Amino acid sequence: MQTLYTKLKQLFKLGELTEQRQDLAFITVAQEQLRPLLLHLRDREGFTHLVLLTAVDWMEEGQFQLTYLLNDRAGARDIGLRVMLPRDSATMDSIHDIWPTAATYQRELREMFGIGFPDSPGVNDEFILEGWNDIPPYRRDFDTLKYSEENYSHRPDRETTDPAQHMKQQLYPDEG
Amino acid sequence: MGYQPDRSQYPQQREDGSLDIDLTSGKYLKLWQGPQHPGITGNMSVELTVCGDEVVEGKTHVGYLHRGFEKLMERRSFIQCFPIVCRICVPEPDFNEYCYAAAVEELAGIQSPERADWIRTLILEMGRINSYLMYLGGQAGSLGQGVIGQWTTYVRDLMLDRFEELTGARIYHMFILPGGVRGDLPDGFNKRMEETLCEIENVLKDVYETMFCNAVFKKRTVGLGYIDPELIEPYGVTGPTARAAGVAKDVRKDQPYLVYPELEFEPVVGTDSDVYARADVRRRDLLMSVDLVRQILSKMPNDGKLMTKLPNVLHWKIPRGETYIRGECSRGEYGYYLVTDGSGFPRRVNVRGPSYTHAVALLERLIVNINISDVAGLMVSLHTYPPEIER
Amino acid sequence: MSIRDVLSPFTAWKYLFRDPVTITDPLNERPGAARYRGFHQNDVQACIGCGTCETICQNAAIDMVPVEEILTESGDSGLRPRIDYGRCCWCALCVDICMTGSLTMSNEYKWVESDPDAFRFIPGVDKKHWDDAELGYRRPEGHRLTPARRVEMHELEPETRIGSFAEIVDGYSVADGLLEAERCVACGLCVATCPTHMSIPDYIAAVRDGDYERGLALLYETNPFSEVCGRVCTHKCETACAVQHEGEPVAIRWLKRHITDQVPYERYREIVGDPAPATGKRVAIIGAGPAGLTTAYDLARKGHEVVVHEERENPGGMPRYGIPEYRLPYDMIDRDVDLIRSLGVKIHCNSRVGTDVTMDQLQQEYDAVLLSIGLHLGRSTRIPGSEHQQVTKAVDLLRAITDGEEIEAPRQVVVIGGGNVAMDIARSMARLQKQQHGEVNLTVTALEDFAHFLADPEEVKECGEEGIEILDARGPQGIMLDENENLIGLKTWHVVSIFDEQGRFAPSYDESDEQIHQGDMVIEAIGQMTDVSLLSEELTEKLEWNRGRLAVDVDGRTSESWLWAAGDCVKGPDVVHAVADGHRAANSIDSYLKEKTV
Repeated sequence: MQTLYTKLKQLFKLGELTEQRQDLAFITVAQEQLRPLLLHLRDREGFTHLVLLTAVDWMEEGQFQLTYLLNDRAGARDIGLRVMLPRDSATMDSIHDIWPTAATYQRELREMFGIGFPDSPGVNDEFILEGWNDIPPYRRDFDTLKYSEENYSHRPDRETTDPAQHMKQQLYPDEG
Repeated sequence: MGYQPDRSQYPQQREDGSLDIDLTSGKYLKLWQGPQHPGITGNMSVELTVCGDEVVEGKTHVGYLHRGFEKLMERRSFIQCFPIVCRICVPEPDFNEYCYAAAVEELAGIQSPERADWIRTLILEMGRINSYLMYLGGQAGSLGQGVIGQWTTYVRDLMLDRFEELTGARIYHMFILPGGVRGDLPDGFNKRMEETLCEIENVLKDVYETMFCNAVFKKRTVGLGYIDPELIEPYGVTGPTARAAGVAKDVRKDQPYLVYPELEFEPVVGTDSDVYARADVRRRDLLMSVDLVRQILSKMPNDGKLMTKLPNVLHWKIPRGETYIRGECSRGEYGYYLVTDGSGFPRRVNVRGPSYTHAVALLERLIVNINISDVAGLMVSLHTYPPEIER
Repeated sequence: MSIRDVLSPFTAWKYLFRDPVTITDPLNERPGAARYRGFHQNDVQACIGCGTCETICQNAAIDMVPVEEILTESGDSGLRPRIDYGRCCWCALCVDICMTGSLTMSNEYKWVESDPDAFRFIPGVDKKHWDDAELGYRRPEGHRLTPARRVEMHELEPETRIGSFAEIVDGYSVADGLLEAERCVACGLCVATCPTHMSIPDYIAAVRDGDYERGLALLYETNPFSEVCGRVCTHKCETACAVQHEGEPVAIRWLKRHITDQVPYERYREIVGDPAPATGKRVAIIGAGPAGLTTAYDLARKGHEVVVHEERENPGGMPRYGIPEYRLPYDMIDRDVDLIRSLGVKIHCNSRVGTDVTMDQLQQEYDAVLLSIGLHLGRSTRIPGSEHQQVTKAVDLLRAITDGEEIEAPRQVVVIGGGNVAMDIARSMARLQKQQHGEVNLTVTALEDFAHFLADPEEVKECGEEGIEILDARGPQGIMLDENENLIGLKTWHVVSIFDEQGRFAPSYDESDEQIHQGDMVIEAIGQMTDVSLLSEELTEKLEWNRGRLAVDVDGRTSESWLWAAGDCVKGPDVVHAVADGHRAANSIDSYLKEKTV
C-alpha cells in the first residue's frame, strides 16, 4: 500500500495515509482531486469495484467525511478515499458516470445527510423516507430518542427504580 | 458506461434525452408490483411502466422496512449493537454478526480465538445453505412451481433445528459476538448435522430433477435477465450473480477470511448469465457449502477457547479509527464499514449489502423490455433482501 | 431442451407416497433445544438487584422494581428485574452480564394469552411453570463480559518492608487505576454500605474519564479523611460490591487512594472550595481525630468558627497514634488535617480539657461543644501477673512509637489479641526487633479461631510473610515469671467456645491443651475504652450513660442540649464510621445553631 501511495503521490496531491490492514488503507483526498484519482485507480491500478460510498458526520469538527471504498480484486486490496466537506451547504460532484450504481448511494446521502450531488440522476427523488420534514436523519444532530419520545407513546406503567436511590430511601432516608 | 438502461426498442427518447412516455396517450400503463404482491422479494416494490405486456421502465421503491439500524447503533454501546445487527437481514443474519464483530475486534485490537473462528465459519456456511434453500423455493415459486418451496422449506427447517441446538435460537442467532462465539458444539452435533446434510442432498436431487430438468422452467428462464459481463464492475455486481456471468468473484477465495484458507473449494462459476444460470450456480454453490460444512466439522480443532477476554463491556471505549470487513454471503459481498471516535459508541456504521446495487441500479436496467410475467422471476434471480438496502 | 426435461418433473409424484414431515402437535411435541433462549428464570434469593441487566438491555425491556418479600439490606437493593416481553429480543445479554448468575433463560417459548400485560412479569417472583425448567440458556463456562480478577496492587516485598516503617502499598499507576475502575459496573449497591455514603460509582467513573479533580471533589464532599481512608479504611463497601459474587470485588479503597495520588496537593484547597460567609457562631471540639475534625470541616464550610482542643502533640487521633506508619504515613494525615485547617479551623494541640481548659469554660464561651475523644485507654486481660511491668498495652506502645520514643524491643514478644490492633502492634514490634536484633521473634495468641478471625485477612497474610507466628483459639491464663520475678512467657489454654448460649462473652477452655509461649514481654491488644476523666463530676452525674458509654441520640447529641459526642467514644473503633458520625453531629449542630439565631 505504501508503494501505491508513493506512486499516487507523484501524480496527485494526497493527504494523510492510514494503513488499517495489509490489504486496506485510507487516504484523505482534496475534493477536486477525487475524480481524476478515481479514474486513475479504476483504469490504471485495477480498482474497478466501487464497494460503497457513504458519509460520516464529524459534527464537532464541522465536517462531513465522504468515504469512497474501492476494491482491486486481482490485487486483493482495498482503498478508501476520504473527502472532507464543510458541513454546511455540503455538495460534491457526482460520480454516476464512472460507476452507474453510485447514483443510488448519492441519492441516499442527499436524503439521509443532506449532502448535495447536483447532476446525479434522480438524486432528489425520495429514496427511503416519505414525507420527511425534519433535518436529514443521519446527521449527528438529529436525536432519534427525542424524535421517538415526541412521536410515540410509552407503554403505561413502565417505571424503574435506581438501586442506590432505592437503598437510600429504605436504609438511610435522613442522611446526606 | 451510461447510467440509463439500454432501450433497444421503445419508448423513443425525446430530444433532451428523457423518455417519451405519455401516460394520457393510452399506450402506457403504470403498474405497481409490490409492496404487497406475491411476486415481490420481501418489502419492496417496483413501479412498472408497461406498454401492452412489455415493461418499458421500472423503478425500485424501498423504505417499507426502514428501521434506521445504522443510526440506532450510534447511541448503543459496542456490545448493545450486537443483538440488533442480525435483524438487518432476516434469511441470512449471521453475516451481520460476523462482520460487525470482526470490525469491532479489529478496531479494539482484540482477536477471537481460533476455535471460535472455525465455529463462525461453520455458522456462516450453515446460513448460506438456508439462504439458498429459501431462494430455490422462491425462484421456483416466482414461476408457479410451488412444490419446490415446500421441499426446501422442510430441509431448511432441519437446518434451523441445528441452528437452534447450536446457538439457542432459530432465526436471529445472536451467537457471534465481538470477542468470539457464545458456545461450543453440543454433544452429538456432528452426527445430527450429517443426517441433515444427507437429507438436504436428497431433496436437492429431487429439486434438480423437478426444477432444473424441467422444460417449463427452462423455457421461462433461459435467456431471461441476461447480464453482460461488462456490467459486473460498473454495477458493483458480486456473488453468484457475478459468478453466473463467468466472473469468478468470491470473497472466500479473493480475500480469504476466518478459516477459509484451510478449506478446499473452488468458486462455482457459470457461463450464460441468465436466470437459469444464476439458479444453477446457486444450486451448485449450495452443494459446495454442504461439503464445506463437512470439511469444517472434520478439520476443526477439538478444543480451545471460544471467547477472548473482553474489557468490561459496559464501559467499552474504542479509539478513533475506521475499517471495512467483508464476507461472501449467499448473495454477494456483505460488508461493514465501522468508524469509531474514541467514545463508547460507534461514530458510524454503514452496512454494505449486495442487494443495494442489485435491486436498484441493476434491476432497473435489466427490467426494461421484459414481459410483465417475467418480472418476478427476474427479481428473484437477483436474490435481493430489501432490508439491507434501507437498513 | 430434451425429452428428459419433459418427463423428469413427473418424479415429483413420488412425494405422494411419503409420510408428512410436519409435527402434528407442535405445542406439546416440540420443546426448545437445551440452550434455547426462552422465557427468563431468576433465582431471586441469589439475585442482588444490582440492575446490571437493565443497564445492558438495549431494548429497555427491563425495569427494576421493589418486591414485597425481598428486604433491602447491605449488598442487596431489594429490587428485582421485571421484563417487558413486548420489547425483549431474547439476546440474553442480561444473562451474560448478570453479576450473580441468578438470571437465566428456560427453553420454554410457547405461551398464549389474550391479555398483553401478562407478558410483563418479574421472573422468579411471579410464578411460572418454567421456573424450574432444567433446560435453557445458561451463561457458558468462561463466557464473561466483565473482568473477574482485580488489578494486582504492587507492594514492598516482605524482606524489604520488615526492616523499616516505610509504606507497604505502592498505589495504582494511572494505567492500572483505569483498568481497575473499568471493572466497576456502577450499580451503586456499595453506597448504602459505606458509613459515610461516599458517591463511589461517581468517583470511579471520574477515574475512568481521567478526570481526577472531579473525583477529588466527590471524595471531599463526603469524606475529609480521604487520604487516610484511601489507605486504612475498613472498606465495608467492598463486601457489598456486585462484582464479588463471580469474581473479586472492585478495589474501591485503592481507587480512592488513586485519586488522591493523582491530584497535586496544591490543588485540593481550590477543588474543595471556600467556606460560606461567617455566621458568628462558635463551636468547640474536643479531640482532633477523624470524628472531631470531620465535624470541624463541615461546620467550617458552613461558616461557623471552630476551635479544636487536642491533648496530644499532633492532631489526627487514632489514625496517627494507633495505626502504624507502614500502613498510613504521617504526612498523609497532615495533608488531610492541613486542608481542614486551611478552612479556618483552629487546632490547639497539647491542650487537655479538664486541665488546661475546663468543660464549664467551653460551655460558656461557645455555642456548642463536641466530644470526640476516641478510645485511648487499653483494656487489660486481668489475668494473674498482668500487672507486671513487662506487660504492656498495645495502644500505649503504638503511641510511644508515633511520638518517636526510644523503645527497646525485647528479643521475644507475645501479643494477646486477634484484631487489627494486635496485628498493628505485632508488625510494629517485629520491625523494631528486626532493626535492633536482626530477627523477628513474635507470637500472637488470639481468642478466635481462623474461621471467625477479627483482623483483616490481608493483615493475617502479611503477618505470616513477615515471620510473625499467629496462634488461633488460645485463651490467656497467666503470665509466667521465673524465680526472680522476670517475665518469661504466657500460658494459654485452647478455646472451645467464646460465647455462651445466650450469646454473652463467656469463653470456655480445654484445660488439657495448655501451652507456654515464651517471651520477655507480653502485649495486651484486646480492646480500648474512653478516658472520660476530663468531664467534671457534676457533668458526669448530669449526663445519661449507656453501658459505660455516653448516651447519644441518632444525631450524636447527648442529654445536655449544648453537648454532642461522636466517633469511637460512642460508636466503637473505625475511621470511616467516625467520619460518618462527624457529619451527623455537624448537621445536628448546624441546625441547632440556626435555631438559636432565630
